[in-house]
Amino acid sequence: MADDVLLQLDRVGKTFRSGLLGRRVEAVREVSLTLRRGESVGYLGPNGSGKTTSIKCILSLIQPSRGAIRLFGKPPSDALARARVGYLPESPYFYDYLTPHEVLDYVGRLYGIDRGTRKKRVPMLLDRLGLAQAMHRPLRGFSKGMLQRVGIAQSLLSDPDLLIYDEPLSGLDPIGRKEVRELMVDLRKEGKSLFFSSHVLTDIETLCDSVCILDRGVAVAQGRLSELLLADRLESEAVIELAADAQEAAIAVLTSVPGAVLCERAGAVVRLRVPTPRVPELTQRALEVQAQLRELAPRRDSLEELFMRKAVHVQEVGGAA
Amino acid sequence: MSTFTSQGGVTLRTQGVGRSLLRIFAVAGNTLREAGRNRLFYGLLGAAALLLVFSVLLSDLALLDQKARLVQDFGLFIIPLLDVASAVLMGALLLYKEIDRKTLYAILPKPIRRSEFLLGKLLGLCGLLALQELALALCWYGVLKLRGGDMTPAIGIALLLSYIEVVFITSVALFFSALSRPVLSGVLTVGVFLIGRVSYVLADLLGAQKSIFSEVPAMHAIGRVLLTVVPDLSTFNVADEVLLGWDVPLHYVTAAAAYGLSWSALFTVAALLVFERRDIV
Ligand SMILES: Nc1ncnc2c1ncn2[C@@H]1O[C@H](COP(=O)(O)OP(=O)(O)OP(=O)(O)O)[C@@H](O)[C@H]1O
Ligand SMILES: [Mg+2]
Repeated sequence: MADDVLLQLDRVGKTFRSGLLGRRVEAVREVSLTLRRGESVGYLGPNGSGKTTSIKCILSLIQPSRGAIRLFGKPPSDALARARVGYLPESPYFYDYLTPHEVLDYVGRLYGIDRGTRKKRVPMLLDRLGLAQAMHRPLRGFSKGMLQRVGIAQSLLSDPDLLIYDEPLSGLDPIGRKEVRELMVDLRKEGKSLFFSSHVLTDIETLCDSVCILDRGVAVAQGRLSELLLADRLESEAVIELAADAQEAAIAVLTSVPGAVLCERAGAVVRLRVPTPRVPELTQRALEVQAQLRELAPRRDSLEELFMRKAVHVQEVGGAA
Repeated sequence: MSTFTSQGGVTLRTQGVGRSLLRIFAVAGNTLREAGRNRLFYGLLGAAALLLVFSVLLSDLALLDQKARLVQDFGLFIIPLLDVASAVLMGALLLYKEIDRKTLYAILPKPIRRSEFLLGKLLGLCGLLALQELALALCWYGVLKLRGGDMTPAIGIALLLSYIEVVFITSVALFFSALSRPVLSGVLTVGVFLIGRVSYVLADLLGAQKSIFSEVPAMHAIGRVLLTVVPDLSTFNVADEVLLGWDVPLHYVTAAAAYGLSWSALFTVAALLVFERRDIV
């Protein structure tokens, strides 16, 4: 069971001291999360919310000020634990005097991968990332998207169980985004666990089953996406076509259902939101005013709404920013 | 468990002293490769070589029998100086460049210890400076031949000792660059170099007939302490002996080497301790 937990953060915090006066910057206030084998967790938060800082703590680039991190059950300072992680830094840079082939070969030597395996794996991975043509060109002069691909290729070299990617889709053009997204889907199918940050909600919606939302250094919501999105409000949305006459009166009747809200009206067609338990009442009223029910569906919050709500919540409750 | 094999069948060998050395060599090799592909490095090397050739022209000013002497003096003065300057410059930038260009973010999360990375950088830079000193010495040798001079064992020893001084300065630069930003660490390294170069003056004062250090007991004590905590870089300067045609005995060379390498080890360990705890941001 414990073997199944690849990554665990327990109330991790990081306070930087910056400037000569040692002004304190609370980059990460309190983050706890658990990632199990096979899971894909999206790490979501606005700019400056502490995603990169906490990810650097996970890889032992930064010492957390508080809390504990376990990577494959070991502290991140353990090299063998890190060996099983593939990490893509935020806007990655590599030695620009090297070629992608040389970068991967160098990285392979740090992993202790023997020459024969490197010879096979390095071109194979570069080819998979679409860098076969550019394999022997120095990185100087590579575009951001190409560097991102080199970064992903080197993260896969050791065939790691866990991939930790800091904004893997930023800086890519639409085609590049699509390709990298598809690659990440494939990697999941291959059984790799994924932990990646983003502020693009749709990416997380399509790639993850769990999400952790970070706002000003605090993890404000986390859990399975499906549960988080339904948890707070169970609402349904109905599209109703009104009869030709007495439309205002009909609307008054429909909205008299407790909790019903008129969202939109386009001519005779209205869109209403009601608490799901009230759906039978709404359909009853619609019959009474001889309106036709066109559509009825449970309303799911979009991740965006969830995010806005959680972030605003923190602002109201505890936010001394 | 000395190896780890992934589900996809990739075997990682990370444990053991041998593997540790291989990682250090990988980093050192990459450091050398970086300089090898840097045009600026060749530019500086070329300029230094030109400077040596320039000493030929300078020697034309000298009297006939002094020409070779002058080339010799000049080389023994300029080659160590150029190498020390390179050590300060490159040492100060050694870690800063990696952090500034964020290349470290991709390397340190790999199964490499920070100490291995730092030792690799140090080894790489020391290797580079050895190559540089060798290249300049060869160039100088050519000029020397041209002026009818020749290489003597003493000159070889002088170059060797100056290289040990360079290794020391490199470790000092590494320590300061693990601690602070490049300009400051450059200045501090030069500071240590200058103090080290003049500390023998203090030694002289301690033994002198008339000096505050020899006559006032308290000052004498302070002077003694200072002498033990400050490296004496004049140890590595045997130019006078070479010029006078004296022999530099082997036991002196080994003692000087041991002295220099001990000081280097001290600064390297301090650098490791600082770097181990440093946040890479
Ligand atoms: N070295 C540092 N010294 C002081 N403050 C820092 C340092 N690094 C980061 N911070 C601060 O910590 C906060 C979190 O930064 P971080 O880079 O982790 O955010 P992020 O969520 O990754 O943002 P983005 O989405 O823009 O990448 C920011 O307010 C930032 O200014
Ligand atoms: Mg970030």
